[in-house]
Amino acid sequence: MQTSEAQLRAWMTDGLNGDAAAHAALLRALVPLLNSFYRRRLRGAEEDVEDLVQETLISVHTRRASYDRERPFTAWLYAIARYRMIDHFRRRKIFVPIDDVEEILVTEGFEDASSARMDVDALLATLSLKQARAIRDTHIEGLSVAEAAARADMGESDVKVSVHRGLKSLASRILGDRT
Amino acid sequence: MTTEQLIQSLSAKVRPVSRRALGRRIGLGMLGGAVVTMTLVVSVLGIRPDLHDAMHGFPFWMKWFYTGSLGIGAVFAVTRLARPNRASLRGLWLLLVPVLLVAGVGISELADTPSSDWLAMWLGQSWMICPWLVLTLAMPIFIGLLWSFRKLAPTQLRAAGAAAGLASGAWAATIYCVHCPEASALFVLTWYTLGIGLAAGVGALLGPKLMRW
Repeated sequence: MQTSEAQLRAWMTDGLNGDAAAHAALLRALVPLLNSFYRRRLRGAEEDVEDLVQETLISVHTRRASYDRERPFTAWLYAIARYRMIDHFRRRKIFVPIDDVEEILVTEGFEDASSARMDVDALLATLSLKQARAIRDTHIEGLSVAEAAARADMGESDVKVSVHRGLKSLASRILGDRT
Repeated sequence: MTTEQLIQSLSAKVRPVSRRALGRRIGLGMLGGAVVTMTLVVSVLGIRPDLHDAMHGFPFWMKWFYTGSLGIGAVFAVTRLARPNRASLRGLWLLLVPVLLVAGVGISELADTPSSDWLAMWLGQSWMICPWLVLTLAMPIFIGLLWSFRKLAPTQLRAAGAAAGLASGAWAATIYCVHCPEASALFVLTWYTLGIGLAAGVGALLGPKLMRW
């Protein structure tokens, strides 16, 4: 069973606030995640997988000051896991065939997420800054209209109008592309 | 050790980590190094005797503005590179602003000085030692930053090393200003920049070796 990002993040935050039980719960929940992360990438090296999982837990513990509470936890975790793995290859002087590098470097769902993000970025870049920002805040980052208005220092109705117009012109652009 | 034992030992003592822990850690490392650098400048090189008067003049503040703004930019890069996620350093082109401003002052200096004096102005009295002094004085601050990084998670080690070198070079140069009597913008632009650049280069060279974790 894999634990959700929200739960991991909550444990991480509580751990950072000094809650030892939450910290232990976090580390325990990371074991299956890291196991599958490394097992997929180091086929047939079971004992290495266990070493890597333990080393990563130690890194997560000693370097937790480098986690930014405002950012996704799993992205931080997998960045550390990836670094540990590259370091492991370097120490063992294991050479990876270039064809496999890509497979090793993709983080869970990272590729899908980033190519989707690139599409969205390309589309939003065609809008005015104000509209793009309003859509990004409300539809991608999940802020409420009030929060987005406060952040951008605009009126709420202004945000709503920007989102509405922006989405409309995106829709017509995409439909226009198809015909 | 089994993984469960490891988890128990890691979570036996969990110290709270403040929201600003990362900035504080970097600040503390740099401050520790800066104290050593300052002590070296004061005790070995000596404070320039006319410091008080110099602080009323333009050249002194021009130098501080230059090294200080490079230092602030570099510290910004260091804080970005101290987190494991791929850092965006797009704002770094702003470091060109102080360089261009000081270059502008340098051009106006050239216009105000007869061309026979240009060489003397550019080389000053200390061009041969200035870059090396800046590089040497950067070392304590760089070591301080290495200490900071021990609790942080840089993953782009060469970039992190270069940024740490740049930050320590720029702040070492800022401290060195209380000793250095040179007043010309062209001097600063060439020899200070060379010293700071050397520090960044050495940092980039050493980063992958010294910052591994």
